Amino acid sequence: MSNYLVLLVILPLLGAFLMQPLSQLLGSKQAGRKILQNFGRAVIAVTLTITYIVATEGEGVLQLPLSLLMGGFVVPVGINLYLDQFSLLWLVAIQVSLLILWPASRDIRQHLLLLVVAASSMGMALSGDLFNIYVFYELLAVATFGLVAQAPHPAAAVVSFRYLLLSAFGSVLALAGIAIIYSQSGSLNLAHLSAFVVNGETQFPLAAFLLLLVGFGVKAELFGVNGWVPEVYGVVSSRMSALLAGVISKIAVVVIVRIMLLLFPYPEASQALLVLGILGMVGGEWVAWHTAQRGGKLSTTLAYSSIGQLGMIFVAFSFSLTLGLFVGVALALHHLIVKSGLFMLSSAQLNRWQLGLFVLFGLSLIGVPPLPGFWIKLAMLQDLWATGGGLEQLAIALFLLATVVEASYLSKIISTQMVSPQFKSAKLGGNSEERRNLNLAWLYGILLFGAIFFINPLAETLHGIAVQTEDGELLRSVVLENSIDPLAGGEQ
Amino acid sequence: MLGIILYSGAVALIVIGIAGLVRSTHLFRAVLALVIAESGANLLLMLAGFRLGGAVPIATEGSFPLAMVDPVPQAMVLTAIVIGVGIQALAIALLVRVKQRYGTLERSKVTAAMELELNK
Amino acid sequence: MSEFLFELNMLDSLLLLSAVTVAIAILCRVEYISGGVVTLLYLAQLVVVGMMISAGGVFSSHLTPQLFGYELGWLLDGLGLYFTLITVGSALLATLYMAGEWGRRYREQGKSFRALQSLLALNVFTMQLLLASSDLLSLFISWELASWAAFALMALSGGKGLKAALHYMIYAFSGAMLVFAVVAWIATTAVTAAYQLDINGAGILQFSSVAELMQQGIFTIPEQLLMLTLLLIGFGIKMGLLPFHLWQAPAYALSIGPAGAFLGAISSRLGLFAIIVVLFKIFGSITDGSILQSSFGFEFASVTPKTLLAWIAVATIIFPTFVAMRQNDARHLLAWHGIGQGGYMLLGLVMMDSLGSAGGLLHVFNHATYQAALFLAVTSVIYRTGTADLNRLGGLVVRMPLSFMTLLIGIIGLAGLPPMNGFVSKWLVYRSLLDQGELLLFVGAVIGTLGTILSVYKLIHNMFLGSLRKEHEEVREVSWSMLTPMLILSALILLTGLFPGIPLQWVAQGLSAVGLPVAEFNLGGVMADGGSLDMVIVSMVLFSGFGVAALIFYFVGGKSKRVNPLDNYAGGHFLYASNRYHYSNNFYAGLMHLIKPWYKNTFQRLERVVVTLLELTAESLSRLYMRPHSNQLALIIVVLLLW
Repeated sequence: MSNYLVLLVILPLLGAFLMQPLSQLLGSKQAGRKILQNFGRAVIAVTLTITYIVATEGEGVLQLPLSLLMGGFVVPVGINLYLDQFSLLWLVAIQVSLLILWPASRDIRQHLLLLVVAASSMGMALSGDLFNIYVFYELLAVATFGLVAQAPHPAAAVVSFRYLLLSAFGSVLALAGIAIIYSQSGSLNLAHLSAFVVNGETQFPLAAFLLLLVGFGVKAELFGVNGWVPEVYGVVSSRMSALLAGVISKIAVVVIVRIMLLLFPYPEASQALLVLGILGMVGGEWVAWHTAQRGGKLSTTLAYSSIGQLGMIFVAFSFSLTLGLFVGVALALHHLIVKSGLFMLSSAQLNRWQLGLFVLFGLSLIGVPPLPGFWIKLAMLQDLWATGGGLEQLAIALFLLATVVEASYLSKIISTQMVSPQFKSAKLGGNSEERRNLNLAWLYGILLFGAIFFINPLAETLHGIAVQTEDGELLRSVVLENSIDPLAGGEQ
Repeated sequence: MLGIILYSGAVALIVIGIAGLVRSTHLFRAVLALVIAESGANLLLMLAGFRLGGAVPIATEGSFPLAMVDPVPQAMVLTAIVIGVGIQALAIALLVRVKQRYGTLERSKVTAAMELELNK
Repeated sequence: MSEFLFELNMLDSLLLLSAVTVAIAILCRVEYISGGVVTLLYLAQLVVVGMMISAGGVFSSHLTPQLFGYELGWLLDGLGLYFTLITVGSALLATLYMAGEWGRRYREQGKSFRALQSLLALNVFTMQLLLASSDLLSLFISWELASWAAFALMALSGGKGLKAALHYMIYAFSGAMLVFAVVAWIATTAVTAAYQLDINGAGILQFSSVAELMQQGIFTIPEQLLMLTLLLIGFGIKMGLLPFHLWQAPAYALSIGPAGAFLGAISSRLGLFAIIVVLFKIFGSITDGSILQSSFGFEFASVTPKTLLAWIAVATIIFPTFVAMRQNDARHLLAWHGIGQGGYMLLGLVMMDSLGSAGGLLHVFNHATYQAALFLAVTSVIYRTGTADLNRLGGLVVRMPLSFMTLLIGIIGLAGLPPMNGFVSKWLVYRSLLDQGELLLFVGAVIGTLGTILSVYKLIHNMFLGSLRKEHEEVREVSWSMLTPMLILSALILLTGLFPGIPLQWVAQGLSAVGLPVAEFNLGGVMADGGSLDMVIVSMVLFSGFGVAALIFYFVGGKSKRVNPLDNYAGGHFLYASNRYHYSNNFYAGLMHLIKPWYKNTFQRLERVVVTLLELTAESLSRLYMRPHSNQLALIIVVLLLW
């Protein structure tokens, strides 16, 4: 049963490739078109079911992580897929977000590319091999280039091109980083490499980390390589923005965190992450404020805001204590929900109920109790204080200042919305797609509001995830010794 | 000694490529610079597995060379080259669209036109 | 379920009642009933509070959620009860004012009465949560909730009021972040300490536990000073302490009439409450050698935090009061005074002796009464005439005599003259300053009173005295629904001025709850070593003076008759109704000419500096993002350097 894990990557890819011939076959008929529209979502629903089945098999992944060998090749020669609570969380996040945010367009190329996005991001979350992650990352990148180029905006092609250049720049660096790591160790398997590090045989140079960081950091909106963010968010539709900002960026962060935890567990690496995180946080929030002051577009402000939030996430993850992982994951999940909700609300003029929803998201973003954002910020501050150090205290001060700046531009946006005529009425405006987006925003809002009442259990779950993730020994033992060979009858 | 020359060659290619990417004034030249940079990265990867005096990593009957060049990076580089080609092709396709839309591929002009359209 | 109800002690009942008030205010669509119902609910709340005060002691709530590993709790002691009494009382009177005709016209103007009622009720609820908090986390959470509720209430007026509310929000939120930083700091250290001492970490943030940790020296003195400073700034912003006061006056002045009365009366005093909690409950400033008394010296003088705070308080008294003098809008004038009076409260409390702290705390009650009275009176004038511009009013005493009386009583209280209650609290503070030999502070406080007297005279003169304008000929007194709270407040001011012992009992309970020394209070005032005050005697003397004057005027002197103000003769001309013989424009021209150069708008410039810095950094950062690839170059350099 656990062999089916690989279907999470294969099925969406297969679906993507099948869409073209299917559209030739079915495209002419009305019913056929309906099938095509929902094909992508159906595939994801199937993969979600498979995820559930694999995760609850036996003791369940919540107890013991699962490592599956590809093609029966033994680690470290072969590639393994690693499913633990952490990757399970992100798998579920990807699939559920895709299901919610799946666009309603007639253009099957969008559906096709999104299936590729699904396959590659799930592959990234699952894979235990460094180069394999790189390949999936590139696949994801190419799919997003296509999606951006298809955006209904005149500047889409050139924006996509610029994004491509920046992303390719990152890929070159990442490849160089992989080369360094391989040359020092001869292996590409994360668990195997981690074993080298732990045994004291090798310490991979900081330069390798920086190269990989910058390479994968492009998608994660890392400071220095996030010039693409405001441009891209300015052209793509709200749902795509929500997907990019909410989900895809997080997967890139997740990959960076895994690599850092396993391969670079020394303070210089975390400090580099901290510094870049601080820079991203400050840059993002300040420029968001600047944009809002100048009366710029809401999507631009939200773009810079997401840069700022991701900077905060990096700061959180830079503490590789368990608390840091907890805060980082919580912050990432929170941002996923809130940013998606905000992007859903960005497309139209809002009436007073929708503006109230906007206010809800904004308040959670800046951390007003009793919303979940407050608890996460409390944990983050405690985390920073506990680590001590001058840089961390500077991070606290800047973090709080950034929050005030956030409050400032969010309130500016809200008060601008309040004077628009749409605000007075309770009627729904906008076209059908915008209205659907607004309904989705309600979904996110309910999720956020409901989380208030489940703070304790949520915190415990996330804490459990953090503890398991930090446990490198567990990963190594599972992968190196207990990997499951799908071809043989049982374990290796 | 040879190692250092080879490595610095690869790194130099990367640096040249990136420098070209950053500084070029014409978008197509940026793509070409990207090609150079990717070549440099691929070369670096190959070098990671290179063994001086090593033989081709194929075992045939009768001869099993003891010192082989590491085949794994070669496989990686194949993948990387293919990825690179795909991306370059996409880049050129996008450039065709850009040229159709703006009539020029000068970086500054295109950027200016883009800003105009984004801020509308 | 019935067992659950029996479990509710008075604090739980109060909170529940308050929550019900909010719910009804939101849900009740029949707007002309909701005003009355909500008023009754506030009355019920007031009754509960009264019962708690007379019962004495401490009430702790059964609501103790465990969140995030911390145990939160709520507890009302004498101090909290005192502030809660004022809060609920102000809300009751504001709602009473709104319930009748004022509310009707508000609805006719198309505005949402329901929103106003709901937000007011929400404010009361969150304030009660704040006043009853017993640990740092519940304090901070309720603080945030109360701040945002106040913001919403201020923002309701729209337009300029909204802008002022946003201005407030930035200040308040920055303050909250400072407090947040300290709370997180304490939490982190406390949890580690608890872990090491092997005690349960859940209740570690209770005030008492934190105080113990402080005493055990978990934090060094410089760390404690830093924490105290950050907390004082954070809470002081809400209180309008200099230099963080710029937001307060426009925000309160521009909020909707009765809401402004409520906010001005009690909202900023929550900052004072929090400061008291921090200073006395957590940092234990009463004890000798405590942080407040510790001095850190320069070569030429040694400064204690206490002195610093006292001087900030005095600055808060003086500067806003003189800014008030320049105001031409009645509400702005009152709002600036509100800031200044906060300085008296802090000054008294910082003195930390029996008289001064009593005076400071009593001033909270007193100020609430006359600030509410004054605001309601001004709102009544706005209701009838449509303007609060002091240059466009005059002579309303003949048309609105009861409003005039309320205003008169209010300003006598504000100025601190007998027989009103303001006199008592100011006397106590002055007495304490003199006892402790703080002559300079005393002079500063007196200068503040001088400014107050001058500017309130401007208020009453320009509004009510002098000659009536033509457009206000038809103005009548406001209806009973609006008069009742004003008259209640006037009576309250007078009564508590005559018999200050009543509020002083409540003050005594509040002071003993934090461990401050309590003097012996009797019905008329206080009996202390330094001097005693008996308001009954003072008032008797005062009234007998008036009595003598009245005797002379009415009986002994010549016949007097009533005349029309225009029945007069000046400079060879009769007076005409078409001319205005009322000097109101540019009222203190002479004085202003003298002191104008001192108005340097320093604080506004300071604020401007901060904002400009922010804008500069934002601008340069955004340039960074717009320039192509410059950031990539930087990164490559970094990478190469690290090879």
